[in-house]
Amino acid sequence: MNGPLEGIRIIDSTTMVAMPTALHLMGDMGAEVIKVDSHTLYRGEGSLFPDGKPGPRYWDQDASFNALQRSKLGVTLNLRAQEAVEVFKDLVRVSDVLVENNRAGAMDRLGLGWEDLRRVKPDLVYLSNTGFGYTGPWRSYAGIGRMFELTCGLSQFTGYPDEGPCRVGAAFFDLHVGWTAIFALLAALEHRNQTGQGQWIDFSMYQIGVATMGDALLDFIANGRNGARMGNTHPYYAPHGVYPCKGDDQWVAIAVETDQQWEALVQAMGSPPWAQDDRFADALSRWKHREELDRFIAQWTASYVHTELMGLLQALGVPAGAVYNAREELLDPHLKERGFFEKVAHHPEAEIGTRVYVGRPWRMSRTPAFIRRPAPMLGEHNELILGDLLGRSEEDLAELYDLGVLGKEPANQQPPGRGQSVERQIEQGTVAAYDPDYKKLLGI
Amino acid sequence: MFFSGLISTSGMVGSSMATPFGNYRIIDLSQGAPGAFCTKYFADYGADVVKVEPPRVGDETRRTGPFFHDDPHPEKSLLFLYLNCNKRGVTLEVGSPSGQELLRELLGKADVLVESAQPGYLQSIGLGYEELERLNPRLVVTSITPFGQSGPHRGYQGNDLVYYAMSGLMYTSGAYDREPLKHGHPQSLYMGGITAAYATAAALYAREADGRGQHVDLSLAEATAAHHYTAISRYSYAGLIERRAPKVEGGSFKGAGFEGIVPAADGYIGPSTQQGRQRGTLAEFAALTGHPEIDAPQFATPQQRQERAAEFDALVLPLLRQMKKYDFFDAAMADGWVAGVVQTQEDLARCPTLHERGYFAEVDHPVMGKLMFPGELFRLPGAPWSLRRPAPLLGQHNGEIFCGELGYTRDDLVLLRQQGTI
Repeated sequence: MNGPLEGIRIIDSTTMVAMPTALHLMGDMGAEVIKVDSHTLYRGEGSLFPDGKPGPRYWDQDASFNALQRSKLGVTLNLRAQEAVEVFKDLVRVSDVLVENNRAGAMDRLGLGWEDLRRVKPDLVYLSNTGFGYTGPWRSYAGIGRMFELTCGLSQFTGYPDEGPCRVGAAFFDLHVGWTAIFALLAALEHRNQTGQGQWIDFSMYQIGVATMGDALLDFIANGRNGARMGNTHPYYAPHGVYPCKGDDQWVAIAVETDQQWEALVQAMGSPPWAQDDRFADALSRWKHREELDRFIAQWTASYVHTELMGLLQALGVPAGAVYNAREELLDPHLKERGFFEKVAHHPEAEIGTRVYVGRPWRMSRTPAFIRRPAPMLGEHNELILGDLLGRSEEDLAELYDLGVLGKEPANQQPPGRGQSVERQIEQGTVAAYDPDYKKLLGI
Repeated sequence: MFFSGLISTSGMVGSSMATPFGNYRIIDLSQGAPGAFCTKYFADYGADVVKVEPPRVGDETRRTGPFFHDDPHPEKSLLFLYLNCNKRGVTLEVGSPSGQELLRELLGKADVLVESAQPGYLQSIGLGYEELERLNPRLVVTSITPFGQSGPHRGYQGNDLVYYAMSGLMYTSGAYDREPLKHGHPQSLYMGGITAAYATAAALYAREADGRGQHVDLSLAEATAAHHYTAISRYSYAGLIERRAPKVEGGSFKGAGFEGIVPAADGYIGPSTQQGRQRGTLAEFAALTGHPEIDAPQFATPQQRQERAAEFDALVLPLLRQMKKYDFFDAAMADGWVAGVVQTQEDLARCPTLHERGYFAEVDHPVMGKLMFPGELFRLPGAPWSLRRPAPLLGQHNGEIFCGELGYTRDDLVLLRQQGTI
């Protein structure tokens, strides 16, 4: 079946996380996304290989790269060569969208800026993603997702109330910015369909991240208030936190929002005498006495398995969730039934096998999205794109390979080391556990 | 207004230029932040969004702070204001037959319905997707619920904390030996909103091919879980389960390898080991801070710094604590490092970059008055953002829409109001 974005051709000249995420999702939705790589540049983070062992084609095996570049075709173009710039322009002529995330001005220096390319393709939608935008005093600063937590204002709220700000274990604003980019590109395509005009979009990760803090920003503007660390507490609900469960590092989150939910929680706890105390009689007094309340609840939760407690509380209508780790998420029956994770079989030459990736947080009833293909191996679609799509002859291609414009293996091979042993990682606490039978558990 | 400095307006004037979603009518029946954030994107880029609220009480965000001058008045929620500018508003009781009739009439002419009812509720009142498809085959229906329309957890109660727990994000956030931690601002709700916005825009794009709408079923828990993809890869590639910050004997987990958030003289900073796409060296970092003593051989590699974290922290953290946060940030960023500075709301409200980029507008609200307003998300030069109207008062456009567009009479409106339908 066709995806919703069938018929859109996109050139992906991006790195890092935010824009590759936007474009792999558009690929999942049926757009034809052509990832422009170079065999002369470092590919991927080189941090995680199948079973921790880099194979002969290690450059095609990086887990992050493969998660971020799925559903795309791949060509290699060494843009330092003028011939590559010409091929790039040919590609622009037959495409609808170009997305890039070089530092401000870098594409202009290559002759691939908006002013250059609008002459080649007047109705092109061209999005430049930078950390802080093309204007303003921070325009030359580089940005990466995990620093925007701090700069966009989120970190001042995040952390234990008795300590300074704390980072969250994901490059948080990358996905938000990527998802916003999909919206922006679809808005620009809509505009093109109505007016016949393309445009250049100066996308700033910073500005888009700040937009998730709008109400907090207005709190300062109207009330002069700055936020502080909240831990897992809520500004007006209690109990609201994570509580220990049976086993090592097992927790359940409980977040009570109404009197009805509170009564259900009390019932679940077997109506202990302390719960009848005036201190917990209504929402206001529960919130005022939330620390004592948390201590009582933590004593009760400690004898339960976290998932069992979640089921028990949810059956009574109390918002509760087990604190999942990656294995628990992957094996969660609900996510399984909804197909949130997808299995992808890689090309045999890449020696990756079948791996599981995160799908999308939504389903469309008529134009389903799915992972269309594994991430491309380096230069995998050079012949398809340059030959079949752009009409270059075999001789042309051979010459481009000779000139080093195209390549299928890295120009500078630097096989990565094995990294730290699993035992050492567990000892240092960088990982919680290792499941030797993970493939069996995942069915891959 | 408390904060009256620095106002650079991108204008309160309506734009006569084409706006990308100017031809679309969106009915926002959702409650709370996610649906409203979704339709905010469409309203900001031109769509005619009608916010439908329950009579008398209105949307739940009207009862959610922060409030203007800390006055918990239904027209003074700053959250509601932020999420609902550029929209019109009506009231309508979905539980009553005459309310349902009004809703059907609205949906007959609409392009999108955004809703957040418990799975099964709209079917139970004859407004499930199949009925709506018969009513208006072009309609895109976007359902935003905690766990989606299918699966064993579809009836579960969800909220920000529960999504963080079940997404795996909490398990990998916080200190090694303390409880898992969520983000301190309800980010999952915003993440759900932008996800709904792009998925809805994609469904509208698909409709151009054959004129048919469809049902978009979104799970807020999954929108949060999508952020956990690196930990998922780690398990799926090597069977490893990621956890919160590494164990650091005696040292501060935050200082280890200077990858954390650490105190500066007047706030907090995020030092960095990255210069562009490469790792910077310790010598370069030492030069940046003006403290050559940081460049000691026993700390040369990230592994050494982690293994001797307590010692490294004891050396470096007091030196960083003497620097002012923007002095460090600007020096590092100008030198090509990728660093961070923990900004407060005040910092953001005064940020020269945001002002120079025209991020702030001025809203003129009938109850709150004039207020500096965080505005343009991104600029489409062919169709710039504009602030066309403030957030609607409760039921403000009942007459305009029910009488002006659906053909009800003023007498009908009075009756519907007295009967509690609107």
